[in-house]
Amino acid sequence: MASSSTFPPPCRLPHFTPKSISSSKPRTKTKFPVRPISTPRASFSDPFVIQIAETLEDSNSTLSSKQSPPLDKLRETSSQSLLSKSWPSRKDERFRFTDTSFIKRSQIHPVLNPPNSESNLIDISSDIPQSPNLVIVDGYIVPSLSKISELPENVYVGSISDISSVEIMEKVTKFVSDFQEGDLFWSLNGIGAPDATVVFVPSGCHVEKPLSFRFYSSESGDTESTHLPMSNPRVLILVEKGGEIGIIEEHLSGNEEEEKCYWENSVMEVFIGEGGKVTHSYIQQQAANAAHIKWTYVQQESSSTYELVEISSGGKLGRHNLHIQQVGPDTVTEVSTFQLCVRAQTQDLHSRIFLQHPRGTTRQLHKCIVAHSLGQVVFDGNVELIRPAQETDANQLSRSLLLEPGATVNVVPNLQIKPDGVQCSHGATICGLDEEDEQLFYLLARGIDTKTARKALLFAFGAEVTERLPCESLRKKVDSHIQRLLEPIA
Amino acid sequence: MSSLLHFSTPSPSSRLSSSSFRNSPSNSLLFTKSTLRSIRLPSISRRFNQNRLSLTANASSVVDSPTTSAVDSGGGSPKLLLEVKDLTAVIAESQLPILKGVNLVIYEGEVHAVMGKNGSGKSTFSKVLVGHPDYEVTGGSVVFKGENLLDMDPEERSLAGLFMSFQSPIAIPGVSNIDFLNMAYNARRKKLGLPELGPLEFYDFISRRLKIVKMDTNFLNRNVNEGFSGGERKRNEILQLAVLGADLAILDEIDSGLDVDALQDVAEAVNGLLTPKNSVLMITHYQRLLDYIKPSYVHIMEDGKIVKTGDSSLAQQLEKEGYKGISA
Repeated sequence: MASSSTFPPPCRLPHFTPKSISSSKPRTKTKFPVRPISTPRASFSDPFVIQIAETLEDSNSTLSSKQSPPLDKLRETSSQSLLSKSWPSRKDERFRFTDTSFIKRSQIHPVLNPPNSESNLIDISSDIPQSPNLVIVDGYIVPSLSKISELPENVYVGSISDISSVEIMEKVTKFVSDFQEGDLFWSLNGIGAPDATVVFVPSGCHVEKPLSFRFYSSESGDTESTHLPMSNPRVLILVEKGGEIGIIEEHLSGNEEEEKCYWENSVMEVFIGEGGKVTHSYIQQQAANAAHIKWTYVQQESSSTYELVEISSGGKLGRHNLHIQQVGPDTVTEVSTFQLCVRAQTQDLHSRIFLQHPRGTTRQLHKCIVAHSLGQVVFDGNVELIRPAQETDANQLSRSLLLEPGATVNVVPNLQIKPDGVQCSHGATICGLDEEDEQLFYLLARGIDTKTARKALLFAFGAEVTERLPCESLRKKVDSHIQRLLEPIA
Repeated sequence: MSSLLHFSTPSPSSRLSSSSFRNSPSNSLLFTKSTLRSIRLPSISRRFNQNRLSLTANASSVVDSPTTSAVDSGGGSPKLLLEVKDLTAVIAESQLPILKGVNLVIYEGEVHAVMGKNGSGKSTFSKVLVGHPDYEVTGGSVVFKGENLLDMDPEERSLAGLFMSFQSPIAIPGVSNIDFLNMAYNARRKKLGLPELGPLEFYDFISRRLKIVKMDTNFLNRNVNEGFSGGERKRNEILQLAVLGADLAILDEIDSGLDVDALQDVAEAVNGLLTPKNSVLMITHYQRLLDYIKPSYVHIMEDGKIVKTGDSSLAQQLEKEGYKGISA
């Protein structure tokens, strides 16, 4: 794959006929001469998808879009994989419970240029986290708001097109777009990403302070119009043998209550070498009418550790596709998620942890509160052990709290276990706050009034996840954000 | 402070809610175990009579006039704290009867122990007193400090001065111990019309109390009972008692799951908290707790009733002969 012939100049998607593609790439299915439109599951040439792909394509030919061989490779493979994908409907297993039609009904416009006026970024600069940090607006790094000076010298953080080290470039090229199981949105990001931000941690390097990413969207449509600006930020994290880093990923809007419409279609890829460790905090607080679709793909080599803490409360639709692939034995994986719906919104986590080597440990905790009659949480949690994954220790726990009649949660916990000699457990409960009787009684028995006690338990429900955030200042910020959202309900 | 343990009004088996006995003169001398033993009037037949009498008894009719006052516990005789009469209760869900007519009277400054086999109803009794929703009271009455306890919500009972240390305190992930204690303490202050304490002031207040239960300050930042060992949970219960105070502390199997050292610490903490004004009701299986916290009265519970009352010698007898020896 590394030969130069795989890096043609920015790939256009000129005709998008099956024929033109099948001739260029044998992998693409050639057996679909039929018109697919009448069959929803048909695997290519969804005209709507082609339309988005073409506008994304066009946006990438603009000057501002970064060019580099691995980006070209990414755009090309993504274009090809896109051909077999159509816009998801409720008939697709992975979108059974999740309605993406409001995106489809909109006029999607890729954000073309990096934000040039800093006046509309004042909000962002007022909230500088602990350094080092990167501000990414519409997929572009904003250098004036970013600060990466405190990182160790041999760590690379920056645009994929600015990599000067041949060694790093080779490694990045190897990993970019390595993942074959992405859906339509994965591919759209691959085509539309104007840049890819690369974090490279060389072997044995421990980055002490967490690296913070803050993602913003500069353009938005209002609720009445169908104008939907779309951005495709992409980040690649590469941690070599024995390396360690903490990543904080915040998807923000100046004001979560603001009725801004935009679509952020984000991707993060994380590759952890032998014995490496990545702690990943992912905070989704997008504007109330935003669509946030996000992929996290993680590959873990032997004895590596990946810890993810996700807190999602923003957007009209938040969809997180998490795929963790074990490629060596003795890995440790911890995934903790808290989803909160206080409006008519959907929070969706589709996670797949795939274990194919011995002695892996994986723990997944999913918690959610749905506090609105039109709120919905979807959790499809797949832990898959194939036969070589002997002596795996896997558990998964899901707890949902529904506070309003009509509030919905669709939970599909799924442990697929092929090998013997493994320890696996899972559980899922759905309840109202009253069912926390024993805890409530304990508080009452100490003289705390019912209202205060309930409130404490309500806040505590998510705190079980938020307290796993490794960075204390972030934890406080997130906790107070959640309390602010829950205050009217408590 | 441990000497205060021996404070006790020696109106002996009248603890079983007998107004007739309450009217006999009593005193508030510093009694030793031996003097207590000498004036015990344990008799089952008498108790039954008393039960009938107790129907007409009422707390205000009790007049205790000390005949001697070698030690006066603060001007006046001990007051009636808790009076339980013919209390019956069922499990709310299954309607299975557990308590079948419990009678018990506790005065200020007294230490009582309720012993009994598994399933005798002793833990249920303590939970019913604090208003646990798993149980329904079907008959009888409970008067605490002159008020009808059964009319009160659990939080009101707590604020009124009733404290139960839970047998298996539940973990509350997401609520830190210090926040929890702060909330509970502020509820007390609110009730007394005092301004609530902010986190910093409270930290000051609480860290001074931690040594009572020999705990580290990092204990405060952990979530309520989450990942606590058995001993830590019990210490945490006693810490709550130390912070909140109580006129009557019910210690439900405070000794279970404790090694000797931890038991000693916990008992020492409880003894340190005892004053002539407050009382303790211990629920236990074992004599060994009573070696550390000396009871003025020992009650044996069987099939939802108190079947025998005596002084601490009863517990010793129990230790030697088992429950069979007692009920025979």
